[in-house]
Amino acid sequence: MAKNLSGDLQVASANRLSDGVVVWLDDAGEWTIRLDRAAVARDGRTGEILLLRARAEAFPVIDPFLVAVAEEEDGTIEPLSLREKIRASGLTFDAIAADAVRYA
Amino acid sequence: MPDTYFYHYDDYDRTLVSERVDQFRDQVRRRLAGELTEEQFKPLRLTNGLYLQLHAYMLRIAIPYGTLSSRQLRKLAEISRKYDRGYGHFTTRQNLQLNWIKLEDAPDALAALAEVDMHALQTSGNCIRNVTADHFAGAAADEIEDPRIWAEIVRQWSTLHPEFTFLPRKFKIAITGSPNDRAAVRVHDIGLRLWRNDTGEVGFEVIVGGGLGRTPMIGKTLREFLPKNELLAYLEATLRVYNRYGRRDNLYKARIKILVHEVGVDKMRADVEAEYAETRDGLLGLSNETIEAITRQFALPDLPPKSNLVGAVEALRLENRDFALWLKSNVAPHRVKGYAIVTASLKPVGAPPGDASAVQMEGVADIADAFSQGELRVSHEQNLIFPHVAIEDLPAVYAALGRLGFAEANVGKITDIIACPGLDYCALANARSIPVAQRISNHFSELARQHDIGDLKIKISGCINACGHHHVGHIGILGVDKNGIELYQISLGGDVDFGKTALGTILGPAVAADKVVEAVDALVATYLDTRAAGERFVDTYRRIGAQPFKERVYATV
Repeated sequence: MAKNLSGDLQVASANRLSDGVVVWLDDAGEWTIRLDRAAVARDGRTGEILLLRARAEAFPVIDPFLVAVAEEEDGTIEPLSLREKIRASGLTFDAIAADAVRYA
Repeated sequence: MPDTYFYHYDDYDRTLVSERVDQFRDQVRRRLAGELTEEQFKPLRLTNGLYLQLHAYMLRIAIPYGTLSSRQLRKLAEISRKYDRGYGHFTTRQNLQLNWIKLEDAPDALAALAEVDMHALQTSGNCIRNVTADHFAGAAADEIEDPRIWAEIVRQWSTLHPEFTFLPRKFKIAITGSPNDRAAVRVHDIGLRLWRNDTGEVGFEVIVGGGLGRTPMIGKTLREFLPKNELLAYLEATLRVYNRYGRRDNLYKARIKILVHEVGVDKMRADVEAEYAETRDGLLGLSNETIEAITRQFALPDLPPKSNLVGAVEALRLENRDFALWLKSNVAPHRVKGYAIVTASLKPVGAPPGDASAVQMEGVADIADAFSQGELRVSHEQNLIFPHVAIEDLPAVYAALGRLGFAEANVGKITDIIACPGLDYCALANARSIPVAQRISNHFSELARQHDIGDLKIKISGCINACGHHHVGHIGILGVDKNGIELYQISLGGDVDFGKTALGTILGPAVAADKVVEAVDALVATYLDTRAAGERFVDTYRRIGAQPFKERVYATV
């Protein structure tokens, strides 16, 4: 059961400059590829501060922004929008492998 | 296999591309070193075809007029394996997109492309984009002239054209040399159709102001007949008028189609002709020598005529139902007796439309070398074409394609779906396209049923930008986002066939993602119940209208 579905919870995200990989800002101000380590802002004002911090740490990432998330009972963070879910989890289908002769 | 029948870069082209790679390498170095901001760097990377998508950078590689040699395709496979995840996506603009390129690798990937006379220039930005052409060009039985000659002339003229590098908006040109339009010329900024007039002279019908996207429009005829050697001067006049009067105040009203719509085609024509009168005797007149020199680069390979009737082919046709269906759907008439054009379907059942692994690309290149003079084409319908296959070799090509998973006898059928990358990859998308295509493909996988349904083009876009050409699908599917939920708007009756070009009409309220297959099934069932003899889906729709389809769909979903 997710709580705080209103979108008050936010994390800061961006794409890594070197390869475009999706990253999140953690509590230490480092960019991480792990959503579960993202710093969570629990209200709008903290979100604004988180975004300012993300922009201050903007190199080596591109265009930081805030992502609305929900928090499960077990503390798991999940983006609310499908777009951000896909950014967080990757393709929703199996891409063909480099050595694939046929699509499986 | 030598690239005998292709246009080759000359020293000018090679120097230009090489210099651009060197420039970009330095720009990337400066960006990674923090010497350039993203704001400064973004237009530079886009100029080199490097986009940032949801998960990674995407490199859009130009395949001019969809023509590829086997050598070039092998290089694309190599690049995808070395710098990406070993697969690529052939697009509705006959390009190839690699979805997982690292910024630091992009200059090396571009340098590798340059080794085979390829690049990613003008695959982004408000310039004249890669020119597209009929994917059967140079081989089709119905062809009046090879449109690639003119596409190449336009490519040379438009590449880094200083006056048209910052147009109001991007600009797409398509060319067909056949009466059967396979290049969708009426839905491009400029469409060029070669035709023969009453005196036997071949020239261009110049069509302007077509396009899909947010405001779909069918192009209007600007010039009924343009002598061929006047092409560049006339295009230049048209682009100048657009550059001068096209709107720059509103991104959504900046395409030439809006200008033509607002001023009317008669006013547009008058302005273009006035500009043309001033410039027609300038440097852009094409001499016969220039045209002939480029024409020689696209000469038909040496194909000694053979019999169209081959015993082994006929025997296999009788004993193998799938091969017989493949002959019907994936093999088209060639201009030389004893040869055929073969379409490799990049739409295996359940697969992402247009995707090919590195191994598959290499396999296709091998088939092209063995059976098609080393030549290939990319279609805007996201398939690959072998333009010159001897009919006697069709069983071998079919078998080889079968080993690659590309022998599905579905070209033009319900599972030959066009789909953009959608929300799985694209930063602009609102909804997913590929999983929807996969579900429809799986649902209609049975080949005999597909052939019973007949020609039916489904086109899916994940947003209003319409990269999946949904406006001109017999069944168009547009993904929309409503309060965070993916919904799909269905339209019927779109078409790009010449003389029948039409934009689809929205059927009704959008349907939920998990109801799209049921909706398509209901549309097909309505067609099957009501079709007259010989009618395709779109013909039945035109005859009976939307209401029967609408009633069945909304009773189902």
